[in-house]
Amino acid sequence: MAHFEIKNLNFSYPTMPDKLALEDINLSIEKGEYVTVFGKSGSGKTTLLKHLKSVLTPHGTTSGEVYFDNKLLSSIDLRDQSSKIGYVMQNPDNQIVTDKVWHELAFGLESLGYDQKTIRLRVAEMASYFGIQGWFNKNVSELSGGQKQLLNLASIMAMQPEVLILDEPTSQLDPIAASDFLNTVRKINLELRTTIIITEHRLEDVLYASDKVVVMDKGKIIACDEPRKIGEYLKKENNEMFSAMPTPVQVYYGVEDKFDKNIECPLTVREGGDFLSTIFEGKDIKEKEIDIPEVRLDEGMNPAIMVKEVWYRYDKNSPDILCGTSFMVPHGKLFAIVGGNGTGKSTMLKSICNICKPYRGEILLDGKRLTKYKDSELFKNYLAMMPQDPQSLFVKKTVKEDLLEMLRGSDADKENKIREIADLCEITDLLDSHPFDLSGGEQQRVGLAKVLLTNPKIILLDEPTKGIDSFFKIKFAEILKKLNEKGVTIVMVSHDVEFCARYADICAMFFNGTVITTNTPNKFFSMNSFYTTAANRMSRHIFSNAINCEDVINLCQKNL
Amino acid sequence: MKFDSYHPLINLIYFVASIAFIVSINHPVYVLIAYICMFIYSIKVNGPKQLILNFLLAILTVAYVWYYSFYTHFGITAISTNFIGNNITIESILFGAIRALKIAALVMNLSCLVSIFSTDKIIYLFGRVSPKLSLFISIIVRAVPRFINQFKKINISRCEIGKGIGQGNLLRRFLNFCSVLSIAITWALENFIESAASMKCRGYSLKGRTAYSIYRFDNRDRGVVFSFSLFLIAMFSAISLKQTYFIFDPYIETTAITGISYFFYAIYFIFLLLPFVLQIYAEHKFSRIS
Repeated sequence: MAHFEIKNLNFSYPTMPDKLALEDINLSIEKGEYVTVFGKSGSGKTTLLKHLKSVLTPHGTTSGEVYFDNKLLSSIDLRDQSSKIGYVMQNPDNQIVTDKVWHELAFGLESLGYDQKTIRLRVAEMASYFGIQGWFNKNVSELSGGQKQLLNLASIMAMQPEVLILDEPTSQLDPIAASDFLNTVRKINLELRTTIIITEHRLEDVLYASDKVVVMDKGKIIACDEPRKIGEYLKKENNEMFSAMPTPVQVYYGVEDKFDKNIECPLTVREGGDFLSTIFEGKDIKEKEIDIPEVRLDEGMNPAIMVKEVWYRYDKNSPDILCGTSFMVPHGKLFAIVGGNGTGKSTMLKSICNICKPYRGEILLDGKRLTKYKDSELFKNYLAMMPQDPQSLFVKKTVKEDLLEMLRGSDADKENKIREIADLCEITDLLDSHPFDLSGGEQQRVGLAKVLLTNPKIILLDEPTKGIDSFFKIKFAEILKKLNEKGVTIVMVSHDVEFCARYADICAMFFNGTVITTNTPNKFFSMNSFYTTAANRMSRHIFSNAINCEDVINLCQKNL
Repeated sequence: MKFDSYHPLINLIYFVASIAFIVSINHPVYVLIAYICMFIYSIKVNGPKQLILNFLLAILTVAYVWYYSFYTHFGITAISTNFIGNNITIESILFGAIRALKIAALVMNLSCLVSIFSTDKIIYLFGRVSPKLSLFISIIVRAVPRFINQFKKINISRCEIGKGIGQGNLLRRFLNFCSVLSIAITWALENFIESAASMKCRGYSLKGRTAYSIYRFDNRDRGVVFSFSLFLIAMFSAISLKQTYFIFDPYIETTAITGISYFFYAIYFIFLLLPFVLQIYAEHKFSRIS
C-alpha cells in the first residue's frame, strides 16, 4: 500500500498556461521511505512538493490525482492534512510565527485545539527528543539559523505527522548546521518510520540515506531509482546534472572503464576511499601527485588589498572580533577566505569597505590608506561589496529598473552598459522579471550585476554560493573568472570548501579573528585533513595532493 | 523570587486593584500610604537606579503643589494673597498635594508593572480572552524588532555599494533612506507570504484554537489569591464605611478618624506592600537554607 500515490499529474501556472510546470508525473511513495527529489532550480521540484499538501497547492490548471493513504488528497480535510503532512520550507526565519521557542513548538497543537495537559506533554517530548531544552525559554531572535530550522522541524514533528516534506531545508544554513539538520531528519526516518520527501542540493548528505532518488528536469520525472543506480543513468544520458553528484560517484564513473563491473558505486567518502583501495589493490602507484605550477604568493610588490594587523571590536567592552588580522590580496586574483561560523570573516570584509572601523592596524588599498579615501571615491569605480542576502539590494519592480538605478548619464549609455553587464552575468532573459520572483541563483547574479555597475576594481563577496545549486555555481564561477581576466580583484568569504578548492586562486583559513594560513588551494587543502574537500579526504591515503574529483580521476587514469 | 514568579493572573489582580485604589481614593492618609509603599516597592523591584526617578518625581510633586495653589483658588480658608491677587487657600494646597502624590504613586506603580509584566504574561492574559488575539500580539512582538533589524542590515548592504543612509549630500541621503525603507517594506511583505503559508500548514485557520502557556496555577498562587481577596473585601468595606471620604470644595470635609480607621490604614499599607513582603520573605528563606 503506497503512502503517497501520484497519478498522471499535469500542472500549469495561470501566467504561463502553455508551459507545463509539471508534466505527466507518476510516482508512488511507500510508508517509511526516504525519497530525495533532485533537479536544477526551476525544474518543478517545489511545485511537485506543494501538490502534496492542499493548502500549499498553487493556483493553476491541474489534471491527474494525488492519493494519500489511498484517499484522494483533496477529499482529506484540513485538520487531518495539518497534522499528518508536515512541511518544512527553505527559509528558517520566515516559517517561525511566534516570538518564543516554547510557543512555536505549541503553535500547531494550539491550532488543532489540544488542551494544556496534552500540549505540555507533547512539547516536553519534542524539546527532549530534539535537544531543545537548553533554549526552550529563549526568544527566537536569539537563535542561530541552524537552531531555527531545527525548531521548525520540531514544531512540525510535535503534531506527529506521518510524512515529512522538506523543501531545500538547509539552503540557508552553514555546512555544519546543515549536516546536523539532515542527520536529525534521518534519525526521524529511522526511529519513527516517518516518510521523508526531501529536495536538497547537498546530495552528499542525503543520497546515502535515501531509498529512492527522483530526478526532475523541465517539469518531468526523468529518472526514479535507488541512489546507487542514479549516477549510472545520468552518466549514460550525459546529463549535466551529473556534476551535482557526490565526489565518490563522479570518481567511480570517471574511471568506469578501468575496473570490472562488480564493484558497487560508492556514495560516501568512506565507501569512496574503500573503492579506491580496492581498485589499486596490489598495484604499484607510479604517480602520486599532480603537477601544479609553483605560484609565488608574494608576487608583485603592490597588492590590491593589504591588511596589516587589524583589530576590531563592536563595542568598547565586547570581545575582539578581529585580532591582529594580516593578509594581502594580489591584483586580479580570486582570493577566498574559508572558516567556520562566527569567526569574524564577514566583519573582515566590512572593515575592508570601511563600515567596521578597526581600532588598531591599517588597511591599504593599492598602497593608499583606507581612511584617506572619501566615501564617494571609494564606492565609485573602485570598491563594492555584495551582501550575503542579495535581496537587500533590490528596490525596483523589474530587474532592469533596478540596474538603471545604479547609473547616471544618457539613456543610450545606460542601455549599452546594462546590456554589457547583463550579458556578462547571463541575466538578459531576466531583465523584465520582478527581482523577488527569481530563484536564489538568479538573484545572486542580478545582485552581482548591480554591484558590477559601480565599475569596481575590487569586489567583496559575502557567502556568494549560499543557497544556490551546483549548476549555478559553475556559471557563477565562470563569471568570476571573466572578471578576474579583466583585472578585477575578488575577495570572497565562504563556507563552501568545494567551491573554493576548485575556483579560487588563493585560499586563506580564518579562525578566531585572524588568518591562520594562506596558500594556493592545492597546497592549502592537501595539507588539511579535516577541513578539506571530499575528493581529498577519500584519496589522501593513495594520492598526496588531489583535491578535486578531476584530480582524482586524472591520477587514477594515469596509474591504472 | 520576585513577584513575577507568581501566576500572571495574580500580578494582574494586584496591579488592577492597586491602580484603581491609587487613582480613586482622595483621602490624604491613604494617598500618603500609597506614595510610601510605591516608593519602597519600586526600589525593591527596579534596584537603586529607581531612586533617581523617585526623587525626580518628588521634586515635580513639590513644584506641582506650588503651581496649583498659585493659580487655583477655590476653598474658603485663605492664608495669603499672591502678587496677581489670587487667594492661596489651604484647600487648594491640599488638593494639589493629593493630586501630585497620586500621580507620583501611579508612575512608580507603573514602573513596577513594566518590569513585572513580561510580554509573555501579557500574551497569556490576552490568550485567556481570545487565543487568536494573543497569537496576533505574539506575532507583532516578533515582527517589529525583526523589521528594525532588517532595516539596519539593508542599510549596511546599501552602504557597501555607496548608497547608504549616511552617504552623499542631504538630498541623496534622503533618497537613500527612502529606498532602504522601500526595500524593507517589500521584504516584510514578501516574507509575510511565506509566514502565512507556514501558519496555514500548521492548521492556523482551523476552528477551536487553544492557547498554551507555560504558567501553572499552584497552591502558592491559591494562597495569595485567598489573601488578596481578604484584603480586597476589607478595602471595599472601608470604602462603603466612608473611611475614604474626603472633599475639598468649598471646605475640607471628612469622616472622623476612629479606631477602625487605623485598622483600615494598616490593611491598605499591607496590601500594597504584599508583593514586597512576599519577595523579602522568599529571599530570607532562601538565604537561610543555602
